[in-house]
Amino acid sequence: MLQWRDRSPQHWHEVVNHEVCVTNRDQQRFEGRVFTVDPVSASVVLVSVQENERPSVTVILGHAVTDVQILRRGTEETERQMKSVFLPDRAQILSA
Amino acid sequence: SPRFIALCCSSSSSSDEEEQRLRSELRQRFLWTLSVMRDKLVQFDMHERVRVRARFGASDIDVLRFQVSDLETPLGVQREALLRCQDVLSCSFEL
Repeated sequence: MLQWRDRSPQHWHEVVNHEVCVTNRDQQRFEGRVFTVDPVSASVVLVSVQENERPSVTVILGHAVTDVQILRRGTEETERQMKSVFLPDRAQILSA
Repeated sequence: SPRFIALCCSSSSSSDEEEQRLRSELRQRFLWTLSVMRDKLVQFDMHERVRVRARFGASDIDVLRFQVSDLETPLGVQREALLRCQDVLSCSFEL
């Protein structure tokens, strides 16, 4: 089976905007919504928003990723929320 | 290098163009992530369950090294440092 970092951009793109569980080679697990997968390093960027807490971002380096499982599918609304967190010109996105 | 594979495509069939479009979209989002991360206090999880904190500065283009400031190590604070990404398993920060 292909290693995570050898997979295709199509495969990486399929997990964007979905809630996933990422396992690394130390068997640590990370849950969150995928903002992107860097096509150079295969690193996964997860966003997690807990109630009454500030959103947190976790980057799991591609060389350490062993498995990515989709837990829940995202919607257009979750995609829009995530983009508003990251886009350089946030004010423009929030007012759009 | 991984970057060469990611950025240079020898043929131009429509499926390759689609693949390249996806690569550029994914990469752009990753670059946004790095720019949001800049100057944030970031926690780095390294091998052997070592956890350090530092202020994130920049990454090189191939994501091989991170430049950080005020790296808090068990041996003291390092004013400026480069972390090898191969030694980092994950990093996280709050927005």
